[in-house]
Amino acid sequence: MTRMKRVISFTLINFLAIFLCLWKLHANPLELNVKEHVLRNGLKLLMMEKHNVPIVCLRINFRVGSVDERPGITGVSHLFEHMMFKGTKIFGTKDYAAEKPLLDKEDALVAEIAWEKGMETQDREKIAALEKELETTREKLRDMVVKDEIFSLYLRHGAVGLNAATSSDGTFYICDIPANKLELWAFIESDRMKNRVLREFYSERDVVMEERRLRVETSPFGALIEQLNAVTFIAHPYRLPTIGWRSDIQNVTKAETAEYFERYYSPNNAVIVIVGDFQPENAIKLVEKYFGDIPRQPDPPKVKTIEPEQKGERRIEVEFDSNPYMAISYHIPGIGHQDIYALDVLSSLLSEGRTSRLYKSMIEGKRIAVMANAGIGIGRFPETFTFYAAPRAPHTVEEVEKAFYEEVELLKTKPPSEWELQKIKNQLEASFIRSLDSSSGLAGQIGHYEILSDWRYINTFLEKVSEVTAEDVMRVAKKYLNKRNRTVAMLVKKENGNGESAK
Amino acid sequence: MSIKRYYHLIVCVVCLTGVFSVNNSLTLHAEPQKEVIPSSGEPKSEGAGMLSKFKFAPLDFNPPKAERIALENGMILYLLEDHDLPIVNIAAQIRTGSVYEPEEKAGLASLTGEVMRSGGTVSMPPDKMNEELEFMAASVETSIGRESGSASLSVLKKDLDKGLNIFADVLRNPAFPEDKIRMKKDEAIESIRRENDRPQQIAGREFRKVIYEGSHPYSRRVDGTLESIEKITRNDMAAFHKKFFRPNNIILGISGDFDRKMMIEKLNEIFKGWKKEDNNIPDVPKVKNELSKSVHYVYKDINQANVIMGHLGIHRKSPDYFPVRIMNFILGGSGFTARITSRIRSDEGLAYSAFSDFQTSQDLGMFYVMCQTKLKSTHRAITIALEEIEKMRAVPVDNEELTHAKETILNQFVFRFTTSASIVAQMIDIEYEGLPLDYLETYVDNIQAVTIEDIQRVAQKYLHPDKIKILVVGNKDKFDKPLDTFGKVNEIALEQYQEIPVNNAKSGVR
Repeated sequence: MTRMKRVISFTLINFLAIFLCLWKLHANPLELNVKEHVLRNGLKLLMMEKHNVPIVCLRINFRVGSVDERPGITGVSHLFEHMMFKGTKIFGTKDYAAEKPLLDKEDALVAEIAWEKGMETQDREKIAALEKELETTREKLRDMVVKDEIFSLYLRHGAVGLNAATSSDGTFYICDIPANKLELWAFIESDRMKNRVLREFYSERDVVMEERRLRVETSPFGALIEQLNAVTFIAHPYRLPTIGWRSDIQNVTKAETAEYFERYYSPNNAVIVIVGDFQPENAIKLVEKYFGDIPRQPDPPKVKTIEPEQKGERRIEVEFDSNPYMAISYHIPGIGHQDIYALDVLSSLLSEGRTSRLYKSMIEGKRIAVMANAGIGIGRFPETFTFYAAPRAPHTVEEVEKAFYEEVELLKTKPPSEWELQKIKNQLEASFIRSLDSSSGLAGQIGHYEILSDWRYINTFLEKVSEVTAEDVMRVAKKYLNKRNRTVAMLVKKENGNGESAK
Repeated sequence: MSIKRYYHLIVCVVCLTGVFSVNNSLTLHAEPQKEVIPSSGEPKSEGAGMLSKFKFAPLDFNPPKAERIALENGMILYLLEDHDLPIVNIAAQIRTGSVYEPEEKAGLASLTGEVMRSGGTVSMPPDKMNEELEFMAASVETSIGRESGSASLSVLKKDLDKGLNIFADVLRNPAFPEDKIRMKKDEAIESIRRENDRPQQIAGREFRKVIYEGSHPYSRRVDGTLESIEKITRNDMAAFHKKFFRPNNIILGISGDFDRKMMIEKLNEIFKGWKKEDNNIPDVPKVKNELSKSVHYVYKDINQANVIMGHLGIHRKSPDYFPVRIMNFILGGSGFTARITSRIRSDEGLAYSAFSDFQTSQDLGMFYVMCQTKLKSTHRAITIALEEIEKMRAVPVDNEELTHAKETILNQFVFRFTTSASIVAQMIDIEYEGLPLDYLETYVDNIQAVTIEDIQRVAQKYLHPDKIKILVVGNKDKFDKPLDTFGKVNEIALEQYQEIPVNNAKSGVR
């Protein structure tokens, strides 16, 4: 008897040990271990150690994007992002003291020329003289510039992935660099925040205009999405394109750009993320040393506008010299709302992988489309659930639209199977584990969600998703995927006609 | 989590991707990490002066090395254990490619690569395979490109056996069912029909045709044509698969959470009975190394011209590979600071993306410059690019530029070793390309050895602005100056695809 008992208890302990071990394996990688430190000026520092390779992945993000813009200066967040590579008072110039008056002169001449050209009767001679003077000034300026010096210094010290990005919600500065160069980064980045200079502004505005032509004006899908957003939101600034409207890019002034910087690029509106091979105490010391003396500023203005409830379906057409595309958007709540998780599951159910419903019905079954995707947007403010597709000729956007609504009705009337829900949960869990492989990817994610609300969204996401039930999916389908809440955009073929209209 | 965001609104400051890049980014790395302390050159600004006084601790890093094993059946393995995460990744490269398909059946290789996976295997129908894999959050994928095939498995450690079995089954026993063949054919046809919607795709496709003579497989689309796709049969695909998918044609890289000894046993088991066969890989005709100047124009009514210009370049095993790489870095391959980018983008604001590239392949690849610019600066942008190419030949680069290039490449080294999967992938690539297996060990020395004279020598040998081919997609009525100032213009008419009648939807051809 005693002997038997002992064996049992031994087995139990063993069982418990295995269980604990498994639990550890599970619990550990499914949560990010991020350390926080906030400077007195409000600058937040998020740190995650990963010591396998001597690199650090650095992000400095600002909570400002096109959602903070207004008509007239649309695209300014993005333009400013470009300007941040043009240098400071001590980078990118041979002698700022000598350069400054020339920069002022350039601005004055540009303004004067614009004024003269706006007169009813133009004084051609005067304009020509001003333009000549502008050219002379620019030649002198060119001699003083150290071309793209920040970019060049970073490269030389081994940085990769050097870039920046702007979205409707935020602006993100990206730099992955060998671990021993952390201080170099802190020095350059803090100087960009303290001493930025808007040099080569006018040529960069032209570069952005080319970017607009590339991404929107000659791209069927880019053109469709720009129009879709502008109609989906009638009041909220999510309607504004991040790249900016054409007229605004061409006319935004340096003064407007500088004012924008003053308002939004404050330490209390920024977050730094460091992931990789570093010691947090050391990183805190460096960040305090270089960023600590930047004064806190008044909080930037809040976006006050709330998108009013949609009162009925909106439909638009976009003519383009291209085969057809289509997109349908539905308003959904913002980050922090419980329904987001059920909507996330619903999106995966529809278009994640070859066993997803849209793939099986539209691409593999009826074979009416070559692309059919759905996904939710998560932003600082309530975003949309969007479906977008490319029909396969001779099938039409109308057929695809109809087939999509059939799938939506199915979601409302029949609960998704246990198998489907479990599959999605398995996939989200595995994709979390996979994401831990890349320091760069982690830095991006942590910084992204911190800009939207809080990086902890990542840590609670899996748990929240695991609570989503089949009934939740049906409920959110009924609640949000309705005719009156949707905007339908079709890209229709127009032969020969995206050319710049003659002025 | 948020698919829309990608389309929604991200705009970046840098855009530097080659349109032809296969796995040619020329950036394989040596070990151990030797660090270069940026030293040379007078700081040009106050900030750079301050930075030059910074002291950086040495970077101490010995990247892990993948183990190479040759199995009895001829398969080459690269193994790298990494127990950080409970994941196993397998990547295979297979000696095959669309260069081996007959011209009248262009698209055969690509279609075979697609349907191998999407069509399931003899013992496992596609639906079942998709369900099994997706439920365990694993993936098996295959594809065949111009000069190689690839297959991959990513699986959680706990599902390794299941994953391996499916992976091996797909490699060995694809079923090629007719319905899935039809589906992939139709998808390829739709993708061809949609190609003319995007100016960059037109430019890339037509440029390839201009660079390579029509009879060479490098001139063709990997997807085939509307006509050739219809000529491909199930038998063709099964035969193509049988010919190339043999163990002695496969290099397999395995990284992640596994035990080396057990993995080798498992691989021997799943590939049991799969025999080595004599090498009967056909020869690919040599690219005729002849250059001649020409100008080509494709009309599309858009407000931005797509410019691509260049000529034949080098192959991957060229002895001049390293000096060419550094020369191109300085000319247009390194982002903002490269000469072409700096002038076209930064100085004059003519383009968002402007760069040059030496795309390499097993035979001669392409040197090309690419940019997109508003119609009324088309001529200007081309002129700048030509001037910079000419200058690279005529004037030696200065020491500062060379040092900058070398230090950048060497200091970026460590990033080639950030994941076990990337270390293994590099070794597979080195082995597949037939490069020396100590490539990574000698890489630093090879970069360091390049001199100013080397750069000028390769510039004169491999850059030929007088024999360059220029291709522009856009609307020439609005160009700043006529294109024919560069030479006689050959106008290429875009193929007009007829509307497909609805009742013919199944066969899908015009």
